[in-house]
Amino acid sequence: MREAQREFAWKVLTYAVLLVATLVTIVPLYWILVAMTLPESAFLSTATEPRLLPGGHFAENFAALQGRVDVAILGVERVLGFELGFLGAIGNSILIATVYTSLSILLCSMAGFAFAKYEFEFKEPIFYSILATLVLPIQLLVIPLFLLMSRLGMTNTYWAIILPWAANPLGIFLMRQNMKSIPDALLESARMDGATEFQVFYRVALPTMKSSLAALSIILFLFQWNLFLFPLVILGQDKYTIPVAISDLIGAQRVYYDQIMVAAGLSIVPIFLLFLFLQKYFVSGILAGSVKE
Amino acid sequence: MAGSDARTGTPPSTRRQALVDAFRYRRQALTERLPELPGVAYVFLLPFFVLFAVFLLFPILYTIYLSFFTFQGVGGTTVFAIDLGFFYFPVQTISNLEFVGLRNYERLLTDRQFHNAMYNTVFILLFQVPLMITIALGLAVALDASFVRLRGLWRTTLALPISANLVAYATVFVLLMQEQGLVNYALGLVGIGPIPWFTSEFWSRFTIVGAVTWRWTGYNMIILLAGLQNVPQQLYEAAEIDGANRLEKFRYVTLPQLRPVLLFVAVTSTIGTFKLFSEPLIVSDAGAPLSATRTIVQYIYETAFIDFRLGYASALTWVLIAIVSALSVFQIKALGGDDGA
Repeated sequence: MREAQREFAWKVLTYAVLLVATLVTIVPLYWILVAMTLPESAFLSTATEPRLLPGGHFAENFAALQGRVDVAILGVERVLGFELGFLGAIGNSILIATVYTSLSILLCSMAGFAFAKYEFEFKEPIFYSILATLVLPIQLLVIPLFLLMSRLGMTNTYWAIILPWAANPLGIFLMRQNMKSIPDALLESARMDGATEFQVFYRVALPTMKSSLAALSIILFLFQWNLFLFPLVILGQDKYTIPVAISDLIGAQRVYYDQIMVAAGLSIVPIFLLFLFLQKYFVSGILAGSVKE
Repeated sequence: MAGSDARTGTPPSTRRQALVDAFRYRRQALTERLPELPGVAYVFLLPFFVLFAVFLLFPILYTIYLSFFTFQGVGGTTVFAIDLGFFYFPVQTISNLEFVGLRNYERLLTDRQFHNAMYNTVFILLFQVPLMITIALGLAVALDASFVRLRGLWRTTLALPISANLVAYATVFVLLMQEQGLVNYALGLVGIGPIPWFTSEFWSRFTIVGAVTWRWTGYNMIILLAGLQNVPQQLYEAAEIDGANRLEKFRYVTLPQLRPVLLFVAVTSTIGTFKLFSEPLIVSDAGAPLSATRTIVQYIYETAFIDFRLGYASALTWVLIAIVSALSVFQIKALGGDDGA
């Protein structure tokens, strides 16, 4: 009987811990959604009762945000004939992250295939020199990259923040690890059927890598989505991504909190959808990043 | 998760399986090695390597070079230009470059602001990393309990914060933790009261600790949970037979088995915290005293892009890289034991 009681107490404790952690996790996210529908004065101070339910001020906040931020995207606003405002920044972020992810996936899986499935000279030294760059804090490459980009005449272009991390060391590492598990005989049989080496890669090897590719896509997409420092120094206002556009709302004299709330709320939407559709890969994506041990 | 196709149980089709078997035999008979097709591997490698060399390797080496100079800005004259009409590529000199040898590195030794930034970063690190790993481990153990339902839902919800946009979340934390914000309101309900999260030197660092912990705990929990689920069940059963209680099982089975995963989490978290930039930047915008919250990366950013002292910033960068690498090696040695890394 005492054993059963102790077991019950342990269950209660476990669920209590999970519940508290989940609340702490969810409340700030929920609060963004509430705050974006309230006038600034209603959520800035809780000298009175804090508001925990949405209000009806979203349209005003959104209009204020659109009035302050003006981000262009590929001339789309000229075609449409009206300014896109903050939506332009969302567009830029999605565009950049998508192009970056696709390019990086292609490069990483090709190179990973080479390391996993061919013998060639200097294979090990090349691989480990690539891997060694994983330790570097990427923010610190900002200085030389900034100089390089100005010399290449690429400042204020999308390529300036797509190209530098397209050759992603983590990506090549993951693809090499996973592609090693493809049976050599499978590739060999394709060769006997007369496939070229590229067809072996594209038609035989890649299709077996679907879940690894999905996991890596999520890692890469989130990485680019959250880049802040380099876009901040290299992009002009017409090409701002979400983080840079939001940081622009934090002025020296005044911080536009109502607008930041709308921006933050809207910027969660695309990533939340991605999250929803690729949920199972999302977890495996995190794990894929940790296979190092 | 790697390569489900590696399993041998389910043949895709008999014809293919026959082929596979035939060639496996043939390959074993002829050679044990991977194909050596001259050139092919390099072709696959080339696109990656070009971008790697230009945008990663070159900047890294260039930073070493720059750290021996003082330097004031980009510009100068064009040496030559490739002009194809639609494509114009000027190659320019760097102006105002002066060789100073090791003087940038000497200056580090007496730079009070650098020491201060270093101190702040280490202070934040010493609280943040152990706190986060403890909570993440606790949550992973809770989720690993056999009776827990809806494990996937809990897990995904707890990992939600890493999908929140970095700058957006940092700003929201400023609001939640301001003098009259929701956090102080909630603390007030239980009689703790108002904590100056930004204006106090002491508390402003903990604001950063809290924000970073909120964002990354779920992420690390997922990694630790996967590690827990790999602990062989027999070990727990054996411990039970020996009469171990819950705490002893955790101490003598779980922790030793989890060591490589814990090591990975510790190393990546340490590197991550050393790289802190967005959070302290936005917290100091909100009025936190710079002397208390300026991190090392933030200081490098200021040196390079506000003061435009790129040579000195490059030297700072290399010192940081050295410290982070040394710390990672130290952690691997201290925690990893024989099977570490």
